Order: sequence, then structure tokens, then C-alpha cells
Amino acid sequence: MKIILELFGASRDFSNKDYLQFEIKEVIEIKDLKKVIISYLDKNFNGNKNFKKIVESSAFCSEDNNIINDSYKISKDQKIGIIPPIGGG
Amino acid sequence: MLHIKIIDIKKNKIITSKAEEFIKSSTYGASILFTGTVRNINENKEVIGITYDSHDELVLKSFKEIYKEAGEKLKIIDKAVFIEHIKGYIQLGETSIVIAVACKHRDQAYVLSRYIIEEIKKRSPIWKKEHYKNEESEWLKGNPINTN
Repeated sequence: MKIILELFGASRDFSNKDYLQFEIKEVIEIKDLKKVIISYLDKNFNGNKNFKKIVESSAFCSEDNNIINDSYKISKDQKIGIIPPIGGG
Repeated sequence: MLHIKIIDIKKNKIITSKAEEFIKSSTYGASILFTGTVRNINENKEVIGITYDSHDELVLKSFKEIYKEAGEKLKIIDKAVFIEHIKGYIQLGETSIVIAVACKHRDQAYVLSRYIIEEIKKRSPIWKKEHYKNEESEWLKGNPINTN
């Protein structure tokens, strides 16, 4: 299945596009998706520690705009948003 | 009464008089207008502008929740609230957020205005990238959002 990871805030530095795309073979939980993202960062940004910290401290949101926790399962093509630490206003 | 909007700076800008007009139409007696603007110094760095990023749907959802909770937690039922937040790059001195509130009494208006801005800072997925005079820029660290 195809997971589109929509990038926001500091995570926008992970790519020149607004998103990352991952091909995943099996059902995956958010906590394991984080590992996939970190693996991508290892490969493409030489394990940039600041980028990894962003992933570790981020929340995630589902396609229907709900904040989801680490045990949320993704079982079909879906857009997931990464929500780094916030600070607007 | 509630008005909420994300303003994309490429298409529009925040006009505070719109907030005043909205509040006046409510006929409540006490009103407060809060605006946030880009300030010149942050952590000893000279700031020339900020790029605001937002997850629009989640931000608008959070604004609605904050408005609803103000009724439940603060017991401020009769109220008018106007919230607009910018998205995109704005320069020093330009407005990033406007919050206008009107209630029956002044103590409610002060409490409500403060509650809304503090909750937005804690809960609304909005990010800031500061741009400095020396041409560097960086995303501000911020606070992790609560997933429970």
C-alpha cells in the first residue's frame, strides 16, 4: 500500500516536496511508520539528528483530521500528516 | 457567534477592522481586540519576518473546540468570537493573528481573550520559521502536541 506522509512545519525540510511517499507491504502502526521515516532520514540526510528528533517528538494525524496515537494501524492507501511540535500565534 | 479563518498571505491579509465590525454586530457590552505581530528580536537575533505554516483543517477544528470549551469550562455562554490566523511569509510589524471577543461583562471578556490565545499556542498546529537579518532562518522548536 501507498502511504503519503504530508509534511508540516520543521518536517518540511525532509523534502523539496510537500510530502514523502512510502510503499509498505503490510499493515503498519504509527510507531513503526516512525521507524520507516527515520530510516529514510538515515539514507537521505546521513542520519541528521535534528531531523530524527523532530520525528520522535511529532504527533500524527489521519486523513480525516484526527490526531492518532502510536498504536493506530494503517491498513490501506492513506494520507498521514506529521505534526511536529507547534508554536503559532 | 463564531468566525474563524486561516488567511493565506498570497491571497489576502488580516484586516482588524473586520474583527471590530463582527464584534460590534453582537451587541454585547464588553469587547477586547487582541493582535499578534512579528517582533524585531527573538533570543538576541534580529528578526525580519516569519513564515507561518499550518494544518488548516486541524487548526480550524481546534478553534471550534476552544470556542465550545470556553462555554463549558469558563461558563461563558453568551459570546462573540472572531479568530483569524495568517499563513505564509509576513514581515516585521505585520499581523499574524487577530482575536476579538465580546461578552456581557468585562471580566468575562478578559478571561476569554486570554484563554483563546493560550489554548491556540498549546493546541493549534501552527508553526513559525523565523527569518533573520543575517539571511539565516530556522523553524522554532515549539511544544509537542498532546496525543491522548
